[in-house]
Amino acid sequence: MTWIMAALLVVVVFAGIGITKWMNSTATENANENWRDIAQAEIANSMVMLEEPDLSEPQADYYEGRIAIAEHRLANDIPSFEYASMQQQVIDTHMMMSLVTLLAVIMAGGIVASEFSQGTIKMLLTRPVKRWKILTSKYITVLLFAVVLTVILLISTALAGLLFFGISDGTLLVWNGSEVSETSFWLEALKLAALKFSSVWMISTFAFMLSTVFRSSSLAIGLSIFLMFTGIQAVFLLQNYEIVKYYLFTHTDLTQFFTGNFMISDITIQMSIVVLAVYFLVFMAISYWTFGRRDITA
Amino acid sequence: MAEQAIVQIKNLSKTIGKKKIIKNLSLDLHKGEITGFLGPNGAGKTTTIRMMVGLMRPTEGEVWIDGQSVQADFEGSIQKVGVIVENPEMYKYMSGYKNLLHFSRMHKGISKERIDEVVKQVGMQNRINEKVASYSLGMRQRLGLAQALLHDPKFLILDEPTNGLDPAGIREFRIYLQKIAKENGVAIFVSSHLLSEIELLCDRIAIIQNGELIDIKNVNDLQKSRYYIQAEPLELAGEVLTGIGFPAVLHDKGYLIDSGAEHIPGAINLLVGAGVRIFAVQPYRETLESQFLEMTGGGEIAQTHTK
Ligand SMILES: Nc1ncnc2c1ncn2[C@@H]1O[C@H](COP(=O)(O)OP(=O)(O)O)[C@@H](O)[C@H]1O
Ligand SMILES: [Mg+2]
Repeated sequence: MTWIMAALLVVVVFAGIGITKWMNSTATENANENWRDIAQAEIANSMVMLEEPDLSEPQADYYEGRIAIAEHRLANDIPSFEYASMQQQVIDTHMMMSLVTLLAVIMAGGIVASEFSQGTIKMLLTRPVKRWKILTSKYITVLLFAVVLTVILLISTALAGLLFFGISDGTLLVWNGSEVSETSFWLEALKLAALKFSSVWMISTFAFMLSTVFRSSSLAIGLSIFLMFTGIQAVFLLQNYEIVKYYLFTHTDLTQFFTGNFMISDITIQMSIVVLAVYFLVFMAISYWTFGRRDITA
Repeated sequence: MAEQAIVQIKNLSKTIGKKKIIKNLSLDLHKGEITGFLGPNGAGKTTTIRMMVGLMRPTEGEVWIDGQSVQADFEGSIQKVGVIVENPEMYKYMSGYKNLLHFSRMHKGISKERIDEVVKQVGMQNRINEKVASYSLGMRQRLGLAQALLHDPKFLILDEPTNGLDPAGIREFRIYLQKIAKENGVAIFVSSHLLSEIELLCDRIAIIQNGELIDIKNVNDLQKSRYYIQAEPLELAGEVLTGIGFPAVLHDKGYLIDSGAEHIPGAINLLVGAGVRIFAVQPYRETLESQFLEMTGGGEIAQTHTK
């Protein structure tokens, strides 16, 4: 089961990047993109954004960084990675991580509920191991599975990128607030994947809680996947209300602070971390409390 | 029994909703002794067992196993217990052996050799590497017994274990349980709704009805020595028997007398001497079954619990 899911992930990555390559080769205008034109456009766009009246501080910082990097490139003649390069694909891996969420949710939603539906729960809970320890080992299994899937995703993206696109001789630049410096694409890819992992983590923890409370894998998996897709939409519906700041899906994706795709203005990464931590603790408390006290009649 | 009880059930009660399922049940179980837990369907046997192993929380009362409370020290007490609650449920997509390996990891220090030993004891060595999905109910019961015995428990609880076993299997199972009770001093608690199945197995029988423990009987006490003598003429035989001090009860075509075997030849001599013709002399045992039905009110039980 877990092997099938991992294999599926690899297949999807190769297929996805293969299709991208094929579409690039048919669309000619993308083929001869020039990094200088891109840098120019980046500066122009960011200038426009900085004119926006209600820009928050994190947003302003982000666009200033973009300008600094693009200017540095043009001044020192440092090309960026083309989109169709192994490096850029690896950096963008975090955008594929909803796949990991999906598979992790399937595992999280089934791992406790299936013990109930198979009736094996009574065989587990009559061992000299306290209930909270059993639940913890199940939870750790889910998290490890999600981590392994993320690593598989990164590696297979790199391999598929190598196969279909090859290595670019561009350089990755980052802005730390005061100066521009070079960095390795692997480091950047890992950082973004780790930030995106917050979303995988929260949604699987939510599925795990449903699995524990309702003892039904279909309910836990169905409801979690439904929320995963609609939860983000609800951010836009709620954006004019104060409550949006305390809403889970406003904060699940921590990459927003580094890719500029902010869900709402005026949130900071510190705020997001606090909100996520509170949700996490609530999900865990509910899981442990119900699992620890429940009468097993299965 | 003089020895300290290894298991003490103290005033156990369970209320679910408004329904009192178990009512103030107390029972002691002893080392090396096999205790039957007899009661009609729905009497509360499984519920009691669930509370004994921590699957359910008692509304009131406590269970002590070898000096430790199941409610207060779960790990310490439950490591001495092997249990099957209702049908043993295994991971069907795994082999019997993989299942045992999986459960053995949740105990301390169970070696591969120990698993092989237990597999042999329950007679599963030929099929242990097949998937559980392909097992018959009887084989699942054997595997269930194996998982309960892995850690060499001091106390074994079996909930209606003969379900699915054939008569040869039941006999084998009985001999095996009696052996581990005697040789290893394991206390065994076996529930059943059929007296005939546990009568031969148990040393004593606790009877539960509607959540209440209504009686505990020693199986030996139940089998007191009685003889049936079929004789003619009846009146003369009756006079002779009462004359020598046997309170004779008329039964069928003869008399029932309460007496040890040693007095029987003498009585026969006297009867023959007095001119009574003897047609049959046989030990008479009223079955436990009829006593059980008498105690629990016979057919009425089935009615009150059919929904
Ligand atoms: N979870 C439950 N909720 C309500 N009633 C229950 C529950 N479990 C068992 N009962 C009731 O408790 C009684 C005892 O059940 P049980 O312990 O399974 O009996 P037995 O094992 O002796 O056949 C039955 O009348 C049953 O209907
Ligand atoms: Mg039962």
